Amino acid sequence: MSPLTIISDPQYLQHDTGGDDHPETPDRLHVIAEELEKASFSSDLAHSTPRPAERKWLLTTHSESWLFRFEEAVLSGRTYIDHTDNQICYDSYEIATLAAGAGLSAIDRIENGSAQNVFCLVRPPGHHSEKSVPFGFCFFNNTVIAARYWQQKYGVKRVLIFDFDAHHGNGIQSAFEEEAGSFYISIHEHPSFSYPGTGYGDENGIGEGKGSILNIPLRPGADDSEVQELLLETVRPRLEAWRPDAIIVAAGFDAHREDDMSGLQYSTELYYILGKEIRRWTARFTEGKHLSILEGGYELSVLGESVAAYCKGLLGK
Amino acid sequence: MYISRHMTSEPITVSPAMLLPEARTLLNEYHFRHLPVVNEQGELVGMLTDRDLRSAYPSSVITDSERRLIYERVENTAVSEIMSTRCVSLDIDSTLDDALHLFDRDQLGALPVLDNNVVVGIFSIRDLTSAYKHLFGVGEKGAVLIGIEDDGSPTIMTRLVTLLEKEEIPFTRVLRTYNEKGGDVIYLRVNTFKIAAVLDLLLDAGFSLKQDWK
Repeated sequence: MSPLTIISDPQYLQHDTGGDDHPETPDRLHVIAEELEKASFSSDLAHSTPRPAERKWLLTTHSESWLFRFEEAVLSGRTYIDHTDNQICYDSYEIATLAAGAGLSAIDRIENGSAQNVFCLVRPPGHHSEKSVPFGFCFFNNTVIAARYWQQKYGVKRVLIFDFDAHHGNGIQSAFEEEAGSFYISIHEHPSFSYPGTGYGDENGIGEGKGSILNIPLRPGADDSEVQELLLETVRPRLEAWRPDAIIVAAGFDAHREDDMSGLQYSTELYYILGKEIRRWTARFTEGKHLSILEGGYELSVLGESVAAYCKGLLGK
Repeated sequence: MYISRHMTSEPITVSPAMLLPEARTLLNEYHFRHLPVVNEQGELVGMLTDRDLRSAYPSSVITDSERRLIYERVENTAVSEIMSTRCVSLDIDSTLDDALHLFDRDQLGALPVLDNNVVVGIFSIRDLTSAYKHLFGVGEKGAVLIGIEDDGSPTIMTRLVTLLEKEEIPFTRVLRTYNEKGGDVIYLRVNTFKIAAVLDLLLDAGFSLKQDWK
């Protein structure tokens, strides 16, 4: 068994966001694939393709009305839904279903023993999408759908979603904040400055879900050292206390200092450190298993190397 | 901008003759800290706060016999005897700014809202923060706050807004702040995730971004 399985599909390239200045482009997956191909650890990677998420699993996270609205919008030839950020093409519904399905395929492989760690390189991304509303290039919440699948199909109880994208995953928080069986940890640029304007540090869950959210907002300009300290001083103790049964990572790479989608100033090296940290958590809590799903990361000159650095860290190289 | 949109209408009020134990039960039950006291016409005659009540009840450091005496007295005391009668109030057509001034000046927690001296609402500092939160768009999903350096030019606001509208960039708030030297920062809340494109557009149009960390 290869230590790291990459799940992706050429169909992801067909999600057309209209060109111009839209940053969520098919080239994102091209630069990642090129970098992984030439990486020193490329022989440690297995490659696989996803299945589309069955409607039943989409409905664990989204409303039926949203599914109809999304499908109808693409079939009627519209170019965006609700906001021009959320560009769509005729095939976007099917492609988004295939993006949501990547996590399900990954979990099947992890559970049947044919994979250990899986990184799904998908588009469109997911962590901003809410139950019935798309936001910030996201239509289906890929990580939450995967969490529900793990919980409901395989009976895994305590699922962690760790999100290191520069932007707060408002959709993940909305899904988890009122329940006790899941945990969302997000390190992101402070909502006073950054999209989507959510993710304040005092939001820690509601009702039964008190304690199910850990938002760690960073001021613009925050760099590797702050994140490393937070991992050590804040995140590790919370994980030790909570002890996840499964780990899903919303892996976004737009906090890189070269990526102007945020004011965070991470280096490529930090993604290696994040990969190693997650490897450490998997050894401690989940018998070396985990699932990562691509979220943001838009600066093509550094996206490939950032993902490669992260994978190298996951592999413990 | 009017407080009437944000206040609690038809608040629970008490009569001046109500005895203190009953008033205390009301405050505890509803987790209030302020009770308007009204006459039979519903006109404001005073305010009773949880602090007034705490002062009336016996201290925990006195002897049991003293405490019993005070309790007996308190149980037969009417609200009118301990309420504040010099009340600051808001009017039904007061603005959020009026309320902000009063809260800032008097360090109060909540103010009764009057219409012809009749109590029609209560407006708390929490209502005020929530109203301003809404006004500034804090916590609204799908928005980004961008700081732009204000060069003091008399047309900078026009240029900025024209540019955004021409480029069809949705925005909801533009706030110009001043320091002692004049123009300071213009805060712009744009509703798009295509932040890099917006920043490029602003830079190309000659605006300078306020990015203190760089």
